Amino acid sequence: MPDEFHISSLVVHCRRESAADVATALRAMDGMEVHGGVPEGKLVVTLETTTESEIVERLNQVQLLAGVLAATLVYHQFEPTSRREASTGGCRHGTLAP
Amino acid sequence: MELSRRDMMKAQAAAAAAAAANVTLPAQAQNIQLGEELRLKWDKAPCRFCGTGCGVMVGVKDGRVVATHGDMRAEVNRGLNCVKGYFLSKIMYGADRLTRPLMRMRNGRFDKEGELQPVSWDQAFDTMAAYWKRVLKEKGPEAVGMFGSGQWTLWEGYAASKLMRAGFRSNNLDPNARHCMASAAVAFIRTFGMDEPMGCYDDFEHADAFVLWGSNMAEMHPILWTRVTDRRLSAEHVRIHTLSTYEHRTTDLSDAAVIFKPGSDLAILNYIANHIIRSGAVNREFVEKHVNFRLANTDIGYGLRPEHVLEQRAQHANDAQVSQPADFDAYARLVSEYTLDRAYELSGVPKPQLEALAKLYADPNTKVMSLWTMGFNQHVRGVWANHMVYNLHLLTGKISEPGNSPFSLTGQPSACGTAREVGTFSHRLPADMLVANPEHRKHAEHLWKLPDGLLPGKIGFHAVEQDRMLKDGKLNAYWIMCNNNLQTAPNTGNETYPGYRNPQNLIVCSDPYPTVTTMAADIVLPTAMWVEKEGAYGNAERRTHFWHQLVDAPGEARSDLWQLMEFSKRFTTDEVWPAEILARAPEYRGKTLHDVLFRNGQVDRFPLAEMAPGYENRESKEMGFYVQKGLFEEYAAFGRGHGHDLAPFDTYHEVRGLRWPVVDGKETRWRYREGLDPYVEKGTGIQFYGNPDKRANIMGAPYEPPAEAPDAEYDLWLVTGRVLEHWHSGSMTLRVPELYKAFPGAVLFMHPEDAQKRGLRRGQEVRIASRRGEIRSRVETRGRNKVPRGVVFVPFFDASQLINKVTLDATDPISKQSDFKKCAVKVVAATTQAAAP
Amino acid sequence: MRSRLLFGVMAGVVCLATGTLLAQDAPRLRGPEPFTREQPAPPLPRPITNDVRIRRNYPDQPPVIPHSIEGYALDLNANKCMSCHARRFTEQSQAPMISVTHYQDREGNTLGGLAPRRYACLACHVSQTEARPLVENRFTDMDALTEPERQPGGRSNR
Repeated sequence: MPDEFHISSLVVHCRRESAADVATALRAMDGMEVHGGVPEGKLVVTLETTTESEIVERLNQVQLLAGVLAATLVYHQFEPTSRREASTGGCRHGTLAP
Repeated sequence: MELSRRDMMKAQAAAAAAAAANVTLPAQAQNIQLGEELRLKWDKAPCRFCGTGCGVMVGVKDGRVVATHGDMRAEVNRGLNCVKGYFLSKIMYGADRLTRPLMRMRNGRFDKEGELQPVSWDQAFDTMAAYWKRVLKEKGPEAVGMFGSGQWTLWEGYAASKLMRAGFRSNNLDPNARHCMASAAVAFIRTFGMDEPMGCYDDFEHADAFVLWGSNMAEMHPILWTRVTDRRLSAEHVRIHTLSTYEHRTTDLSDAAVIFKPGSDLAILNYIANHIIRSGAVNREFVEKHVNFRLANTDIGYGLRPEHVLEQRAQHANDAQVSQPADFDAYARLVSEYTLDRAYELSGVPKPQLEALAKLYADPNTKVMSLWTMGFNQHVRGVWANHMVYNLHLLTGKISEPGNSPFSLTGQPSACGTAREVGTFSHRLPADMLVANPEHRKHAEHLWKLPDGLLPGKIGFHAVEQDRMLKDGKLNAYWIMCNNNLQTAPNTGNETYPGYRNPQNLIVCSDPYPTVTTMAADIVLPTAMWVEKEGAYGNAERRTHFWHQLVDAPGEARSDLWQLMEFSKRFTTDEVWPAEILARAPEYRGKTLHDVLFRNGQVDRFPLAEMAPGYENRESKEMGFYVQKGLFEEYAAFGRGHGHDLAPFDTYHEVRGLRWPVVDGKETRWRYREGLDPYVEKGTGIQFYGNPDKRANIMGAPYEPPAEAPDAEYDLWLVTGRVLEHWHSGSMTLRVPELYKAFPGAVLFMHPEDAQKRGLRRGQEVRIASRRGEIRSRVETRGRNKVPRGVVFVPFFDASQLINKVTLDATDPISKQSDFKKCAVKVVAATTQAAAP
Repeated sequence: MRSRLLFGVMAGVVCLATGTLLAQDAPRLRGPEPFTREQPAPPLPRPITNDVRIRRNYPDQPPVIPHSIEGYALDLNANKCMSCHARRFTEQSQAPMISVTHYQDREGNTLGGLAPRRYACLACHVSQTEARPLVENRFTDMDALTEPERQPGGRSNR
């Protein structure tokens, strides 16, 4: 199980005036990267983890941050960490859906 | 390498989130160490398939669609698609796309008995135009016709309607939506004086009970079904009752699967009305203030050919649509015959199930959403069935408010938009107006800037009648667009194919792919599809939604809109309009139909500069003006201020659709109720303002039997229909490998005991025969559909198993919609001897 | 006469169309030749049950099901799919877990498990048979565009 990496992305809706602070808080979290959306109050965030449950934990943390209205998961994909395994196994993409 | 893979995924993830949030990312973020090659352009579009109207995000790279996903910002589906929608990316890329016009040729010239060979657009159009002109001259406008589609874009249907009605002066224009929801459309007008539902999809989140009448939503409206099941699984008190003639995936997830004998839904509906009346559940105040009562003509025949014995015998075959004013007592007397005992006798449904259903409707504290599709509409008494469900909602006042909603689901992506709102039926004009009404014609002539008296008042041939007239040699120049009618019409072997191959007729078919219909046509025109053109659809909840052209069509394929407008250039008014009209309006002389229909100062009003930058638009560039905008704005003038208000054109390219009437920039979710619908006057509470007295009609009608029922020889009911994985006749979805492999061919769903009785085992080849024709199929006794004894189900997507050679061309006599759900067949083992061609 | 004629027509189009029909049962796309000819029904294809996960075409495509789902209960009382694919069972079942996107409800709230709107698994995930595609599909996926070296054919959909 830990031999995987998960990439997911979320849209974090926040009050416009708190958007910059929320972005700072998100950047401090492990594996989080903020790509934009501060002016709109809709932060585009990617998240790298090694397990799926970390995504859920992180989502819940984000939802509790001050100024956050909603955090919506948009995308989720995971692959085995080792490429060799990926090219021979035929199971590169593991999740059951969008 | 590892790093770049990870970064690429991250870039995709960020792009997906940005698209979902409608946020433009700063350039450095988009490029995360990856460079240009990764940049996809994402745009919104509605799904190409059913009437649900899900939003899709379409990813384009190097002129090709490379990915699609559910649009998170689309209110309808909030990010979800069904399996067909998720594979939209692939529908345009079947290797056998038609890329050049084809024409039957022999010795270098057109010959109906020749072979299909590639020709130029000019050759194809010249041949067509010469034929059209000869037919118009020799036989008049009633000998030309067109069969269109609820999958046409709004402006394609609108342009076709103008060309047919105003150009060729013929109302022989009908959409394949006739086969799909004509019964619903007709019943809306008869009940409310206005087409389309009063409620919307928001009702799903408000209802306490869902009653499905002849609808397998789990397969045919999967995303709406996610909203129903979401509600059911999230709120403990919610219940789903599904009425059907067999069990399927929808009944699997229902609290009650109510399996009735084909056609007996009418008796169940009248029993429920009777129960409401007898149990004192009538909402007296509502009924007194807002409802009229009428009784329908009965014994109305089955829409077969007039010489058929069933039509000869029927008392009211010729005035089936007539009804008489009545009162509550007369209606109550009519339904009083439908006691619990009688409903049970006719339907075979256990009494406790019937009672539970009746109580749902009768309970004033249970908000009921009734939903129906083809089981109701493809029914020889489809209009009555629609009336009867409105009767239940009107008796109890459970209508036009969140959660209380009789809701007609549509099959096609623009059945509401193009077939109904634009008015491509043989009896309709835009915005619910009728060709038979002189005032309506006058209004259309005025808005179209055309001479008085130009539009014909005679109702044209409807779908089934078009086939009959082609066969009989009365309809001779015929253009089929955006449908596969030789696979999907009823009784095709006897009533459709002979007309296509009738030597008197020229059959033209426009399609992106070779189909059963193109193979039988004389001229085949290659067509652009979905995001290969700018488009607009209207879904089942009155939502109008747009998309841009995102990629180019292959080869010489061109959109239906381009084809219609280009063809109109080949006719002058002097050639096709009567001399007396031109004498009265000489300023129209010497002009082409293209000039008078599309260069009328309205359609050509918007310059190319108004097109959104960054999008291709082939039709507009070729015509020299923003065609789609001009057509839309001219069309919208019909409805603005009349309860059909549409927003300005450009708005729709920004939003995820809006539900009309759009008044002061606001959409309308529930019509006819004060506070929710701007057209309802203050202090009235409810106004069904489609009718002059602002009341809705409760229409009393009895149970009448189907046109054909099983007997000793043809001993089984045949029900036909669709499957989740394939869209209608399969011309798109069969070319997507994953969808094809999921459900590669039609099968005969049969009860194991019925199979055993005939000595058949699962997988065995059989013949399915009716009095009209037969096909071969394979027995399936398991799987998703569980039919009761005496019923078999065969889907129609498979062109190698043309089940419509077997079906009956009976229609509802009022709506003229075919009944694909009820005819009698026998099933026998196929022997190898008979297998030889 | 008619039959020979139309057969010729059919052959004509097959050559004209750029794609080649792949399988014997191509009438499934275009009907019998001619229309009036009786068409035998090919045997039911076998379901794919090898459990080999099939690569997705693009990240948001629901993976297809590489095993039989014959007789699976998916009703108000039971969801057989979830008895292997739910997070808490995947270690034991070795089945891929459902995506966390499936935990979100219509409003975007993250729930502890499968959101009710995702309950009808088969609306998106379909099993496959061994039927051979009728015609080539020339869809090109994102990976082929961005990493052409990964897919020599450039247009594979497996």
